Amino acid sequence: MLEIHELTKRYQRKAAIDQISFSLKKGEIFGLLGPNGAGKTTLIRIINKIIEQDSGTIRFNGDLLQQKHLAHIGYLPEERGLYKQMTVEAHAHFLGALRGMSRSEINASLDYWLNKFNSTDWRKKRIQELSKGMAQKIQFIYAILHEPDLLILDEPFSGFDPVNVELIKAELQEMKLKGKTILISTHNMRSVEEICDRVVLIHQSRKVLEGRVTEIRESQKTGEYAVRFRGNMIAFVNALWIGFELVDKEILGDDRFVARVKMRGDNSFEDLLKTLIGQVKIEAAWEVLPSMNEVFIATVTTENDEK
Amino acid sequence: MRNSWIIAMRELKERLVSRSFILMTLLGPLVVLTFTYLIFQFGGKEQQKWHVLIVDPANIMEQKIMAGEDPNIQYSFANNYIEIEQFAKEKRFGPYDAMVEVNEKVLSNKSCFLFYREKPSFTMSVNIRYQVERRLEEVLAKEFTKLSVSEFRKIKQPLNFAFRNVYDPKNATGDLAGWVGLFFGAVIFVFIFLFGMTILRSVSREKTNRVVEILLATAKPRALMLGKILGIGLSAFIQVFLWILIIGFGLYLMRETIFVDIYDASNQVEGQVSDYNQFVELVFDRVQFGVMLFYFSLFFAAGYLFYGAFFAALGATSGSESDGQQFLIPLILILCFALYAGYYALENPDSPWTTFLLYFPFTAPVVAMVKLSIGFTNGDAYQLFVSLFLLLAGAVLVIQLAARLFKNGLLQFGHTLRLKNIILWLKVR
Repeated sequence: MLEIHELTKRYQRKAAIDQISFSLKKGEIFGLLGPNGAGKTTLIRIINKIIEQDSGTIRFNGDLLQQKHLAHIGYLPEERGLYKQMTVEAHAHFLGALRGMSRSEINASLDYWLNKFNSTDWRKKRIQELSKGMAQKIQFIYAILHEPDLLILDEPFSGFDPVNVELIKAELQEMKLKGKTILISTHNMRSVEEICDRVVLIHQSRKVLEGRVTEIRESQKTGEYAVRFRGNMIAFVNALWIGFELVDKEILGDDRFVARVKMRGDNSFEDLLKTLIGQVKIEAAWEVLPSMNEVFIATVTTENDEK
Repeated sequence: MRNSWIIAMRELKERLVSRSFILMTLLGPLVVLTFTYLIFQFGGKEQQKWHVLIVDPANIMEQKIMAGEDPNIQYSFANNYIEIEQFAKEKRFGPYDAMVEVNEKVLSNKSCFLFYREKPSFTMSVNIRYQVERRLEEVLAKEFTKLSVSEFRKIKQPLNFAFRNVYDPKNATGDLAGWVGLFFGAVIFVFIFLFGMTILRSVSREKTNRVVEILLATAKPRALMLGKILGIGLSAFIQVFLWILIIGFGLYLMRETIFVDIYDASNQVEGQVSDYNQFVELVFDRVQFGVMLFYFSLFFAAGYLFYGAFFAALGATSGSESDGQQFLIPLILILCFALYAGYYALENPDSPWTTFLLYFPFTAPVVAMVKLSIGFTNGDAYQLFVSLFLLLAGAVLVIQLAARLFKNGLLQFGHTLRLKNIILWLKVR
């Protein structure tokens, strides 16, 4: 769908992105991660042809990315902005026309999306009359009005309340099922875990990590297990003895705890369960995978230390 | 180009419904018409009361004149010859402010002179002229025709037949016509400045509210800039057109209702109009509005494109809405210099500097208007087209450079614009 090959962009002598390569497959949600100033926005702007790369190529469905492809790309920038004097409808007509849509297509699409977001009565309202959240939603609608094959969202969940975040997430999942490709740049790691199939992590202008979310978490697991139990914490610790190491504990109340444990020697998860049975009442136990947030912090910190 | 057009249309719609546009469209012409009316009415002078002596040795007028509706003029008649020197020096003529000499051949040579001590106001000169002329018409009708005075006046049609030297079009009226050219040039620059500022504000506002990022994801920076210049330019054209329409209609109404006598007096041959208010004569008779407006439109469009690109680039490169003011000052100075260049051309129409200023794109629109109204000397008319061509070429070049600044500066936020930014962004392709 989208192949990015050794993309480099420099501002004066400083590289904003340096030799970055990755590709997006049709029908996947792809996370573009990185700390502030890593080069994510530069990369997104290059994909949108807002700025040009110094070197490297971008292919869209096999062809070198050209201006004409922009009609198949939807873009929601991080810094949201609309013409405040215009009505929701007039603004849709303006942006839709720029994307090459006809009036009837714009009307049909706007009807569909306003209906879907329960916002049909906003149609004739001026943008300045909308609340911030409403305007955000409208801007999201404008980004998908022309049913783009590739949707690029820069921090799509910022400014939305939890209800609308879920609404947007559900919409993205639906679009994915329809075969649309979605590139999300975000700092919201929980969302990444929830909806992204694959991610790329950029740090200091370079790609430092790429892969499927589950595989990345799997590859960075530390052999920790979590046990949720009811009983006495001292009894739990005594039961671990020298075969296991208590890493962390969380008190849930009412003599309920979640303890994180690491194996020592050749002990396995089964051994742990056998040891604990009879000492405490086990409610649940599972292997701990690092969150994307932990992966993010660990990777960035390691990279910084190496430099 | 399609995207430029879409952007231009959005810009145009926004401008057309804005209060400032509507207000300016109506108020501008009203101010111009009011000033014109005041100049017509008072001729730049305070109201005068005159005692006029009509010297009529042949008693053609039979000591009669139209019923004195004008309380400011009192007529007396003399049937003997009075020399100009006598009138000027002798005490007995002291109470008279002016002497009208009606010679015995006035009915055939239709020539009349008024000698004044103090230059009459426009209204005064028109009224005396009108009243004397009406009385002579009565005599003419009675003497040479069997028609009634009203029938005679009905068939009397003015023929405005002006003789001009093709090799010397800069006659006594050249200066005044040049002022009209300067006025046209000034109008061009006022509109360029007003609408240039609109471009600047519009671009920097879009930067501030970040709409620009969405626009750039659909349209190239050059298309965006052109769309903006085009849209605001179209609104400027519409405004100028409405101005012309309203002012034109207002002048027509004035001529037909308030200043009927001015219109009536236009059938005079040259030489008799020396005392006539030249401004009125200039406005109604001498300015070739058709030609002027045609070239005005061309130079306005080209000049607007040329300067508009500067304003767009300045708006795109500024860090915030209030930034970039320091770079506006040189631009305003250039606009002022252009107006001065127009005045210079008026004073020195044949100077080599004037030719240079005519070709120099920054000053071309106003100098071209002045030169056009004064008239090009034989064989020099090509200069107008060279000037227009150079202005258009300059506009294309400036748009290219401005587009580069526009593209490189548009996504830079929050900085303070410095010269080094401009140089840097000009270098980046």
